[in-house]
Amino acid sequence: MNPTPLYSYASDPAWADLLPLPQDDGQYPLAQIAYTEEYTEAMSYLRAIMAKNEHSPRVLQVTAHIIEMNPAHYTIWVYRAKTLFALSATGEVQLGRELEFLNDLALRHQKNYQIWNHRQTVVEAIAAAAAPAEQEQLVREEKEFMNRMFEQDGKNYHVWSYRQWLVRRFEAWDGELSFVSALLERDVRNNSAWNHRFFVVFGGGGMDARQQGEGEVVEEVVEREIAFIEDAVFIAPQNASAWNYLRGVLKKVHRPLSSVESMCLGYAPLDNPDKITSSHALDLLADIYAEKREEHGKAVKALELLAAKFDPIRANYWNYRVGLVKASV
Amino acid sequence: MASTLLTSKHVAYIQSLDTKRDRLDYHLTSHLRLSGVYWGLTSLHLLNHPTALPRSETIDFVKSCYHPSSGGLGASPGHDPHLLYTLSGIQILATIDALDEIDGDKVVEYVSKLQNPDGSFSGDEWGEVDSRFVYCALSTLSLLGRLGDAPGVSAEGAVGFVLRCLNADGGFGMAPAAESHAGQIFTCVGALKIAGVFEKSLSEDQVNLLGDWLCERQLPNGGLNGRPEKLEDVCYSWWVLSSMAMIGKLQWIDREKLVEFILSCQDEENGGIADRKGDVADVFHTVFGVAGLSLLGYEGLKEVDPVYCMPKDVTDRIVWNHRKILTT
Ligand SMILES: [Zn+2]
Repeated sequence: MNPTPLYSYASDPAWADLLPLPQDDGQYPLAQIAYTEEYTEAMSYLRAIMAKNEHSPRVLQVTAHIIEMNPAHYTIWVYRAKTLFALSATGEVQLGRELEFLNDLALRHQKNYQIWNHRQTVVEAIAAAAAPAEQEQLVREEKEFMNRMFEQDGKNYHVWSYRQWLVRRFEAWDGELSFVSALLERDVRNNSAWNHRFFVVFGGGGMDARQQGEGEVVEEVVEREIAFIEDAVFIAPQNASAWNYLRGVLKKVHRPLSSVESMCLGYAPLDNPDKITSSHALDLLADIYAEKREEHGKAVKALELLAAKFDPIRANYWNYRVGLVKASV
Repeated sequence: MASTLLTSKHVAYIQSLDTKRDRLDYHLTSHLRLSGVYWGLTSLHLLNHPTALPRSETIDFVKSCYHPSSGGLGASPGHDPHLLYTLSGIQILATIDALDEIDGDKVVEYVSKLQNPDGSFSGDEWGEVDSRFVYCALSTLSLLGRLGDAPGVSAEGAVGFVLRCLNADGGFGMAPAAESHAGQIFTCVGALKIAGVFEKSLSEDQVNLLGDWLCERQLPNGGLNGRPEKLEDVCYSWWVLSSMAMIGKLQWIDREKLVEFILSCQDEENGGIADRKGDVADVFHTVFGVAGLSLLGYEGLKEVDPVYCMPKDVTDRIVWNHRKILTT
């Protein structure tokens, strides 16, 4: 194994004016082993160019090369961004081209977050100089690209954070509900999508467009959400995300937990434990019954079933809850 | 499968990390080296081998990452300063009792410049915002003994931002409305603890809901995940457990099964701990595996501080004892 680099800065006339600066590793000389050569050569040319504080098109070349090998190297990203904005100011570079570079990179480096950070600064800069129609186009394309990312990993935390930034930044709430519904249809267990749904439906700025004054949510929206949850739970009764979402909705709109008692009983008939299909329904029932003193017996029963049979790894937690119910008598 | 902690193997593994300079992955990890040193050093202290890394070389390396012009530290010499590595550098110096080796005023100045008007902190001058940077800022300041004495820093603003990251499911995300994530919960709860406002910020119901979310991370194989429907991973032994310890709910975890899970992720030949069984070990998962075991009371380990992820005797010496004197 001796992969010779296809490209070498040393043999490219465009770089001949620079004296490469090797890493100063103190007392340890850098061992020159074949497969580290490509990386260390590129780095030493970048150091030379940074030492001159040069912001020229070839910075984009060498940073792209290093980023390809090591996309988490944050210092390189910062230098690339500075160069990009300097070149864009003089018209030497179109920022839109940077997004194409990032698309390709992001698809191949799913775990990297510097890419998204950088993308945010680039999009911000493009938007600052764009007419409203161009901004809309930009947002549309950003959403399309994210959809491609979500096809590979629907739970990518960096992409979701970026999406929420984009939606807020450009007031781009249109289409978010149908987008997230489609994702949940594909994978009803996608907690990230459930979280985004909460953000879209209840998240502050009147995004659902059907909220009344003082942030009060209209009845119709609540009914729609509960119906959506009922469908989701029907498909996957043991899906924590949907049940968590249900609790979130009820709390947000100040409805009592007891309003969903019959739904819970469908998945956790206390008098027929063999038919129980959801530990989360049991959990919710325990909370519902804990609220009424005369039903404390049922609450304890639900919790004991959880501790003994349906979620024994968390027995300590369920027993603690039993203690709370008994203490509240 | 190892049923005990292979302490001497892990010590040898950590000591070997700095000798692999001819390997590509050594170079490809230079952007997080200072944190790597902190992870290694903390592991060694918890494993009761505090002098296994040479003290003066460690100090020299930290200083070589310091930027005198800004007061921040980068991950390696020649790397830009960043809040993540500034914290790592301060944690290292605090652990080996060498904080006087660095200009604390200047570091405080660096940290204070990164706070935004909404109370959040950016990770560096480039502006990336994340609730974990609030933790980095407050932790750094408190280790320097400057939490209440940092010109330009609003601890109240920082706390306000963290509380806006609280979700309906009881957890915290990286920004307001972002999905709850165990790593972010550690940093948010930690920030509230360091600021001394956790107890008055969250109601008992909120704490129980958070504890419920956290203990739900334990999977039947004993390991913990970081979000619902994700795979178990040793590093969450730290993010989840430390959060549970901070809110006083550690007892809701099945300790035996988690210990067994962490031990099963050890590299029995070369030392180190991996994210899960059979994967390649790294120093990141090694420290969080060891620190998790320490929280679980595993025999022979030094006590870890769940707020700082540092040896408890160190944080007692420079933070907690000092606070006790202040408040009594
Ligand atoms: Zn991990």
